[in-house]
Amino acid sequence: MSKFMQWVDDRFPATKVWNEHLAQYYAPKNFNFWYFFGSLAMLMLVNQILTGIWLTMDYIPTGEEALASVERDIMRDRDWGWLLRLMHGVGASMFFVVVYLHMFRGLLYGSFRKPRELVWIFGMIIFVLLMAEGFMGYLLPWGNMSFWGAQVIINLFSAVPYFGEELTVWIRGDYVISGATLHRFFALHVVALPMALLLMVFLHIVALHKVGSNNPDGIDIKKSKDENGIPLDGIAFHPYYSVKDIAGVGVFLLIFCWIIFFNPEMGGYFFEAPNFTPANALKTPEHIAPVWYFTPYYSILKAVPNQGLGVITMAASLVILFFLPWLDRSPVLSIRYKSPIYKWALMLFVVSFFILGYLGMLAPNEMRTLVARICTIYYFAFFVGMPWWSQWGTTKPVPTRVTYK
Amino acid sequence: MKKQLKISLLALASVSLSVFAAGGGDILPNDDMPQYSDHKLTVSMQNGMQIYMNNCMGCHSLEFQRYNRTARDLEIPEEMMVSNLMFTGEKIGDLMTNNMPIAAAEKWFGTAPPDLSLTARSRNPHWLYNYLRSFYVDSTRPYGVNNTVFKDVGMPHALQALQGIQDKADKVKALENDIAYAHGDIASAHQKIKDGGKKAEQNKIISEREHLIHEKELELKELSLQGKYFTLIKEGELSPKEFDSAMVDLVNFLEYIGEPTKRERKAMGVYVLLFILFFTAIAYLLKKEYWKDVKKNP
Repeated sequence: MSKFMQWVDDRFPATKVWNEHLAQYYAPKNFNFWYFFGSLAMLMLVNQILTGIWLTMDYIPTGEEALASVERDIMRDRDWGWLLRLMHGVGASMFFVVVYLHMFRGLLYGSFRKPRELVWIFGMIIFVLLMAEGFMGYLLPWGNMSFWGAQVIINLFSAVPYFGEELTVWIRGDYVISGATLHRFFALHVVALPMALLLMVFLHIVALHKVGSNNPDGIDIKKSKDENGIPLDGIAFHPYYSVKDIAGVGVFLLIFCWIIFFNPEMGGYFFEAPNFTPANALKTPEHIAPVWYFTPYYSILKAVPNQGLGVITMAASLVILFFLPWLDRSPVLSIRYKSPIYKWALMLFVVSFFILGYLGMLAPNEMRTLVARICTIYYFAFFVGMPWWSQWGTTKPVPTRVTYK
Repeated sequence: MKKQLKISLLALASVSLSVFAAGGGDILPNDDMPQYSDHKLTVSMQNGMQIYMNNCMGCHSLEFQRYNRTARDLEIPEEMMVSNLMFTGEKIGDLMTNNMPIAAAEKWFGTAPPDLSLTARSRNPHWLYNYLRSFYVDSTRPYGVNNTVFKDVGMPHALQALQGIQDKADKVKALENDIAYAHGDIASAHQKIKDGGKKAEQNKIISEREHLIHEKELELKELSLQGKYFTLIKEGELSPKEFDSAMVDLVNFLEYIGEPTKRERKAMGVYVLLFILFFTAIAYLLKKEYWKDVKKNP
């Protein structure tokens, strides 16, 4: 075996890569609950790609056959087609659950701060790509909500000045949402975006492993090393975190499989009821709402009275996240040592984000629009004001070594 | 941190209670459908299929579903299916389509009768159960019937021979009348405010009428709960009880058609979860074993 590995290592850095990224990659020992979601996001990516490959074998991306290929061929005629489809559909929602929690972990412990700015930016690109992937995938079953959801979102681009209308035609490949749109969304969903996602995930991890993982204390474990140059508070990712993450995967799969086998529609949040009627350009659903993972941003869009400004505001709400590493000026990284002001501001942010998400699912009325506006203002105030308010209040002293709370 | 989290969650809960009070979606009548399982469910689905093939299939296809698949899942022998439930010479492996000419159907009904393969999913079984039992006489409609769950529906009461003809109870009619008048009063009060009438006076009328509507609607719900929403004015082949039970069967069949793997999925899920539980336990023990030698503060 060692002879074989020697032969390989002379030609390819197999052992070197293994050691650098797994066996001798030292991660802090005090990772808590929040640190499971990175590996779980990877699990969901693999789940989506594998189930997606098999779904592609039966799916037909034409306006005439799309819904039939999903409901007749995949859900009924193919052995296990129903399971693959549910794994993919529920997987999409769970991917976003995991990614949102993964991002929140970053907010909690300042994982985006220097020197991890690029880790955060690559991650944000992944998030935006994932939104595009989810949006295009949602068109594919060609149900009525697929159709009208795409109709509403693509129409947003018509707000672009001067060439907005041309732009929407260019995106759709037609004057209305049609089989042409479906076919190109299919190409992007199964080829272009997954490749871009894989590349960005690779870069996300390369950047992370260059600077090392942050930890719940937000301190640099490389400052205290033993005689061999190994961080005293570090531990080899493999086998310690690989076995720990597998246990995390088990717990996650309990939830994931419970949903798949007992409650795949999740009360209409994962699979929306109107999407079980065929796409019909003449029948608008009573209430068009995107899937839950887009609703906070959809709410921001609706909160602005002018459509063009709404689109810009929604785009800005995503763009501003890219600048987070330079907005947070608190002297400490982790929420554990930050000032009470910071804790309150973050908690309020979470509350307003949930409210935005909830309101995005409902038809607007006066009261709801008012609440959505307040939450939108807070969303931006949180980020725009961060360079100032993140410095307010007194922080707690930061330990030199990691703690185990 | 924990304190902030708790208070924030409380705030979130109270906001959601006050701002997002339930937004309608109620149907009348709103009766619960009895739930069957195991063999009883299979028999119910079989009966439902019989009702469907005899009364619905002529107009409403089930184009995503195949006969042999249905026979297998509903435990109906294929020969029995061919000789008793397939009327137009299809083969057992065919899709359950019909020959309804779409263009002509649009002329007859205003809209072509939809395929019902996925209706139990786009609506839901509860809705279907109430819809099927809610046709009542309405001479203003082209087929002489209307439906309280699906107002001004384009289809005739296809199961009239089984159910007979029902009308809204007198009390229901009176309540609906009161509600309609109250809505009229509210509209005219709004108009008067627009035309420069006394705001306080009109607002009082509006709030009074809104209160009235709320009360009357509660009474309607109460009547529905007591099963007194409709009165039978002409008897059908089945007694009301038998008809309700037949509709449970029909809805169970449609729910099966909506997702044929549903029962299989739930049965399998138990074993999947048990396996993952076992796997997680082993994985946890493995983690514990490895982490034994991790010293917290070397």
